Amino acid sequence: MMLKAMHSDWLKLKGKGLWFLVCLGPVGLIAMQALNFGLRYDYLKKSYAADLWGGLLNNIAVFVPIALLMGITILCSLLANIEHHTSSWKQLLALPISRTAVFFSKFAVAAIMLGVSCIVLALGSIALGLGLGFGWALPLADIAKLGFYPFIAALPLLALLLWMCLTLRNQAVPITLGVVLAVLSMFAIAEWLPLTWPLLAYKAQKQEIFLAAGALGGLVVLLAGMVHFARRDVD
Amino acid sequence: MKEWIIETSGLSKRYKGRYAVSNLNLKIGRGEIFGFLGPNGAGKTTTIRMLLGLIQPSGGNIQIFGQPLRRNRLQILRRVGSLVEYPSYYGHLSATDNLEAIRRIIDAPKNRISEVLDIVGLSKEAKRPVKGFSLGMKQRLGIASALLGSPELLVLDEPTNGLDPAGILEIRELIKAMPREHGITVLISSHLLSEVEQMANTVGIIRQGEMVFQDSMASLREQAHGSMALRVSDSMKAMRVLAQSGIPSQHEGALLTIGQTDDEYVARAVRELVASGHAVYRVEERRKSLEELFLRIVGEGRGL
Repeated sequence: MMLKAMHSDWLKLKGKGLWFLVCLGPVGLIAMQALNFGLRYDYLKKSYAADLWGGLLNNIAVFVPIALLMGITILCSLLANIEHHTSSWKQLLALPISRTAVFFSKFAVAAIMLGVSCIVLALGSIALGLGLGFGWALPLADIAKLGFYPFIAALPLLALLLWMCLTLRNQAVPITLGVVLAVLSMFAIAEWLPLTWPLLAYKAQKQEIFLAAGALGGLVVLLAGMVHFARRDVD
Repeated sequence: MKEWIIETSGLSKRYKGRYAVSNLNLKIGRGEIFGFLGPNGAGKTTTIRMLLGLIQPSGGNIQIFGQPLRRNRLQILRRVGSLVEYPSYYGHLSATDNLEAIRRIIDAPKNRISEVLDIVGLSKEAKRPVKGFSLGMKQRLGIASALLGSPELLVLDEPTNGLDPAGILEIRELIKAMPREHGITVLISSHLLSEVEQMANTVGIIRQGEMVFQDSMASLREQAHGSMALRVSDSMKAMRVLAQSGIPSQHEGALLTIGQTDDEYVARAVRELVASGHAVYRVEERRKSLEELFLRIVGEGRGL
């Protein structure tokens, strides 16, 4: 049933420009660092001489949480708007499909698209590093972690924003919240705050804790959203 | 014993202390076209949303195909096609893709898409994005989506809203053919009696959330029996002539009206008038009274 819903959701993405957005985020991040390193190439190369790749990745990592949360916000809102736009909920939910499947399908589609963003980011980082002449000693594990660790740590926020986008007709509320969260996510305010997990998941010593907290928290919020979505009245 | 496709008992929905629907007992038999009538805001759409499981009733029970909706929602919905209020569609997709998005969920055979497009007459427009469709075409696409799963029960909420007369006629013929050709039971809501009158064989009239009339169309017609209007050369004298032969009538200006419409009775009245030298210019049946009856049923209990 879940697969049927996803199969259907996949078709609805056609011509919505979502894939463009999925690529825009990571490409933007890479372009920014290309500019940064391009302008101050000699200075930065000297200061990161010990670990050129590490220096590059750390520079990118600073901006991953904000880009990730902006992406989540816009993606969720666009996904939800496909149904909100002409009130397709009443048609969709009167079909023989469980509401949990509908909700989870949207979550899965969003997660897959964000996953693709992370892959693009990894590929972009490699291309940039090679382009800057940092050599072929690729720190592959760190490159993969660069996108995926913050993403996993951001799952509770993804579930929350998706839930809000899907259940509130007025998208201004979740979008405002998403943008505020995105800006705040650049600062490590407090470890217990889910908002800081995307940043800490890459930077902190004990990354595993933030990954586990993200996955678990994401699951909890997702289930809460599903239960609410399954019970609410559709108008 | 008649088989009930939809049966509700004591169905209610409360919004913030106000009942949108209260104590509704709806019974719709197999193969019927049930006209669900009521003014705007009477609770038609709320009822239909409850029948489709879109909103939870505050009280009462719904049985569809003899199964409780609360427990067997998915099995029931598999056999139901619906169109709720204004049409839902994905504007950026073509008509075919819109139907495909639904087909992937309900698992209908692939060739069913062209079949339903054919039924509603959209085959030629199938590849165009739906956002460029006229309202009538969107409405027809909505009906196509409802038919996609070859349903046994079709629930249509105001399906002719916003259609031009030709479109209304087309949809009407389409709906009338459903029970005949496919054995489909149809529930159709409207705020216009004249529209339902031409399709439905059973009607339910809802007012302020309560069902105030539920019976066959024929019985509604009976209650609303019409009258005959005759235009004659001298209505005052003519009235006296009729009165002498035991036919009561009223006169309004040059018109005489008699309360019964059966052929014999009217023929006798005309014969009497002609025999006594009156010229009869026109004999018309007045059917307005059905609409009047509807307005009276709907209007009762509403303060002026």
